[in-house]
Amino acid sequence: MPDTADVLCLESLHVHFPIQGRLFDRLRGRPAGAVRAVDGIDLNIGRGEIVALVGESGSGKTTVGRVITKLAQPTGGRMLFDGRDMTSVQGSSALRPYRHRVQMIFQDAYQALNPRHTVFDIVAEPLRSLRLVEDGKQLAERVGEALASAGLNPPGDFFARFPHELSGGQRQRVVIAGALAVRPELIVADEPVSMLDVSIRAQILQVLVDLRAKHNMALLFITHDLPLAWLIADRIAVLYLGKLVEIGSADEVTFNPRHPYTVALRNATPQIGGNVGRAELPALQGEVPSAARVPKGCRFHPRCPVAFDRCREEEPPPVEVGSGHTAACWLAT
Amino acid sequence: MSESTVRYSPRGRAGAIKGFLRRFLGYGGAQVGLVCLMFFLIVAAVPGILVGPLQTAINATGDFLVPPSSQHLLGTDEVGRDVLNLVVHGARISLTIALLATVISLVLGTTIGMTAGYYGGRADVWLMRLTDFFFVMPSFVLALVITPVVLEVMGRGGEILGLRPSLFVIIVVIGMTSWAFVARIVRSQTLSLKERTFIDRARIAGSSNLSIMVRHLLPNLVPQIGANGALVVAGAIYVETSLSFLGLGDPLQPSWGTLLSLAQRAGAASAGAWWCLGAPGVCVLMVSLSFVLIGNALDDTFNPRRRVIP
Repeated sequence: MPDTADVLCLESLHVHFPIQGRLFDRLRGRPAGAVRAVDGIDLNIGRGEIVALVGESGSGKTTVGRVITKLAQPTGGRMLFDGRDMTSVQGSSALRPYRHRVQMIFQDAYQALNPRHTVFDIVAEPLRSLRLVEDGKQLAERVGEALASAGLNPPGDFFARFPHELSGGQRQRVVIAGALAVRPELIVADEPVSMLDVSIRAQILQVLVDLRAKHNMALLFITHDLPLAWLIADRIAVLYLGKLVEIGSADEVTFNPRHPYTVALRNATPQIGGNVGRAELPALQGEVPSAARVPKGCRFHPRCPVAFDRCREEEPPPVEVGSGHTAACWLAT
Repeated sequence: MSESTVRYSPRGRAGAIKGFLRRFLGYGGAQVGLVCLMFFLIVAAVPGILVGPLQTAINATGDFLVPPSSQHLLGTDEVGRDVLNLVVHGARISLTIALLATVISLVLGTTIGMTAGYYGGRADVWLMRLTDFFFVMPSFVLALVITPVVLEVMGRGGEILGLRPSLFVIIVVIGMTSWAFVARIVRSQTLSLKERTFIDRARIAGSSNLSIMVRHLLPNLVPQIGANGALVVAGAIYVETSLSFLGLGDPLQPSWGTLLSLAQRAGAASAGAWWCLGAPGVCVLMVSLSFVLIGNALDDTFNPRRRVIP
């Protein structure tokens, strides 16, 4: 059910990347299969809400971000933005109104900035290509405003700089300023602080939280770090191998996890000052399986410490375990 | 704000250019190439001031096949024209043809390579098959076949852009047959560039494909295009000289190749008139060499790990 109060709504979203089979297989007409990067996700983000998408590398969290920012095309399901179906909208001019409202912050700020453009050009690019300003004076104002709200003061000092002249934190602020410049309603932040020093992390997170407070901007915060997600988010969605295994309010998911994977993620986090509540389950073994060969039954069962026969045969549906808190596990009730 | 206190020395575009020049000029080959090229460019710019108007059989000043002397520094040819005069005027024709052909080649090669690399898929496959065709086709043979046909269609009279039709055809033909090399290099570079995150960012910023190619890809391709452009010029001079030597040049606007052709037909070699063949020959050699030296130095400067030997 699409809720008009939600800014973004993903319904049973699938992204499968076809595998190019070997010549021999293709000649015999054997299907090569697909990488099921995202395999049926239902997620909604309310206005001004911060939702964290937590998962290991290979869980498909970046692909979800790329679908929302229209860098990747879903192979199934729907994506509603503000009640409108955006699933099949393509092309830079058709997407212009959408780009105006949804922006992205990248993990690697150095890669995300064209080394041959100045900070001014970088931040001005969306304003220019989305035709949001009338003249140069207004453009300079908007760019300065965006840089200032991303914490680069005084903004004028940064206009003529090139990315290689900035520190890592400053680069990430430029990326944020570029996303802010168009005053979007939703920002997808893909691991925005994982490349930064711990001391700078807090400042960048503060910038993001302030934005929500000031402009009622929704944020999808993609991370592998559960404590970080708890710190910033209203709700947390835990992704494992292309499927959401648990979703609920940040406190519920962090302190009352109902899926063994969430429990394992929490226990894998080192804590300063003793191991309170760490002895419940042993640490996670092994790697996330390849999304090209998703295990039968519950996709977490090969690594699950409490798996039993049913888990190997049947995939558990999401079960409501509390208000707004669902977990996809046979043991969760 | 701790990270804002980190200040880097202001080093903008001007600083980057200065740094590039320092590294570029550090190569001996670049210095030799540049000096040599400057000399020929000056000669080509003001031939009239240096040696007077182009001599023809009518206003030739000397005797037939006079060896080099104080009056004719490079001797005279079989109709008494001063070889120095011909070579200096030939510099202008040869360099103009080579540079214009290179411009055509770079524009075509960059457009096709960038389009193929950026769009990928079917566009890539077909554009690259086209490129392969021109790549394996010996450009010299193709030029040799196309030139007389086009000349026949267009006629030999009049002037196009201040050049005789035969020279204009040579420019177009060289440009059309030398872009495949550029297209391949530009495509490979585009393939790696388009995976960079800043291209994703540009797309999210709402930039169209054209603007991503022009504003994001092209500036990052300039080093490769520049370095290979210099090598294309060297190739163009070689092809132009060969075509003219085989008689496709224009006697009214003689390039170095045309001079070689005329000297050869007059039997300069057997008559022992080495100056007639030697002067334009050495010029072709020196200009090609300086472009290759500059191209290799540019290539080393931009990308020290890769070395192209075309």
